[in-house]
Amino acid sequence: MILLDLELKDSPGELLKALTPISEMGINIHSVIHLREKKSDGKVPVRIVLEDLDEETLEKIVERLEESGIVVTKVNNKVRKMDIDVVVIGHVVDTDIRDTIDRLNKYGLVVDLDLTMPHPFKESSARMRIIVDSKNLEDLCREMEKLSKEKDLLFIKSF
Amino acid sequence: MKVILVGFGVIGRGVIKVIKKKREYLKKKYGMDIKVVAICDSSGAAIDERGLDLDLALEVKRKKGRICEYPGKGVTLPVTEVIRSVEGDVLIEVTPTNLEDGEPARTYIIEGFKSGKHVITANKGPLALYFQELMSYAKKYKRIFRYEASVGGAMPIINLARETLAGNEIIEIKGILNGTTNYILTKMEREKLDFDTVLKEAQELGIAETNPYQDISGLDTAAKIVILANSIMNMNVTIRDVKIEGISRITPEALTMANKGGYTIKLIGEVKRNKLEVGPKLIPLDDPLNVKGSLNVAKLYTDLAKEVIVVGRGAGSIETSSAILSDIINIYLQTSRG
Repeated sequence: MILLDLELKDSPGELLKALTPISEMGINIHSVIHLREKKSDGKVPVRIVLEDLDEETLEKIVERLEESGIVVTKVNNKVRKMDIDVVVIGHVVDTDIRDTIDRLNKYGLVVDLDLTMPHPFKESSARMRIIVDSKNLEDLCREMEKLSKEKDLLFIKSF
Repeated sequence: MKVILVGFGVIGRGVIKVIKKKREYLKKKYGMDIKVVAICDSSGAAIDERGLDLDLALEVKRKKGRICEYPGKGVTLPVTEVIRSVEGDVLIEVTPTNLEDGEPARTYIIEGFKSGKHVITANKGPLALYFQELMSYAKKYKRIFRYEASVGGAMPIINLARETLAGNEIIEIKGILNGTTNYILTKMEREKLDFDTVLKEAQELGIAETNPYQDISGLDTAAKIVILANSIMNMNVTIRDVKIEGISRITPEALTMANKGGYTIKLIGEVKRNKLEVGPKLIPLDDPLNVKGSLNVAKLYTDLAKEVIVVGRGAGSIETSSAILSDIINIYLQTSRG
């Protein structure tokens, strides 16, 4: 059996979006388990159990799911993608927020950004949600350290 | 059991109060009779080989501020001289923490071993800077060295990991090991106040020290992480190996941002292979590490028992003294077995 752990938005039609490409490829789905107790920030983890597959077909499924914007967090309990949160404190905007995001995007993907600026002279805070391949996590952390030194930003990480 | 107490500040007085309070209980339960044969402070010492009057010692300290004024038994000898010359089974060292060079506590501990005493300390300085050296003295002189009170105050962690969880490999320890910073962050989060305001209030309440640098810079947590790394995880590190970031840049806006994403911000100390770090971290709101106020918490990841979590009071003289008392009892039990 194959276990696919996905992260879906908590809205109607999301599950169908995930299941359609699998059934279109003629693959048998044993079960779908909602891990609602692990729900966080509007995302619901879902585990899909499939029949045994060869490596190539499995890779194809994962690719198709990712193409349709679905986050595959684990394949057979092996972490593939991580969803991490970061709160950044500093002069986030004045230090070229676009450049900050571009540089983080070299190793991951900033998918959500929330910003608060209490006062023009005070430090602002931003919250970012970043999706990163587990193999790129160390590089992403190194880039954060570089940004932190160059731009005097404090990255508070969720991991 | 003859005890020499070095350091008669808040913790030292707490130790004496706890010994006084538990005297009958200890006799009944363990057959242990504790005699405090010397108490030292910066003025000198009070020495009585038959056991000092503890009420009188507390009164002298309260009224005159100097233990050397103890009637008839007060002396102005240097502490090292007292440790060397007074006969005793256990030295309890509770002088103020010095994270620069660990002195004078380091010298007192070594003198204790050299003069044949088991040593208990609550002092992070010498442990965070000279752990291996102190252990080698304990080994050389075949004495017991215990320091449960140095990390997490009353929260059991060192003896828990080494004794209760014996047989488990401790893979990672992660936690809040400083009550002052936890109090500040909790208050900032709840009341949307800025760091400086809350710090000032904490100082007025006596929760934060007049010089709060060691707490808010993360240095205090770093010292504790080093003690855990060396004593529980068999590492050989000092405070200089820890990557440290404090909490003074945390803003109420950042806490609100974290809350929106389902997190809070805590000053977390973390130790595992290749990682020795202290810094603010996002902790899920429903995580057991999200303890409030001045509580301490630690999560130990072990190979067999998996995750074990302890929560407790990280400060307070009676609370900290309870950890010291557990070390006294342990030494008594180990040595009286013959």
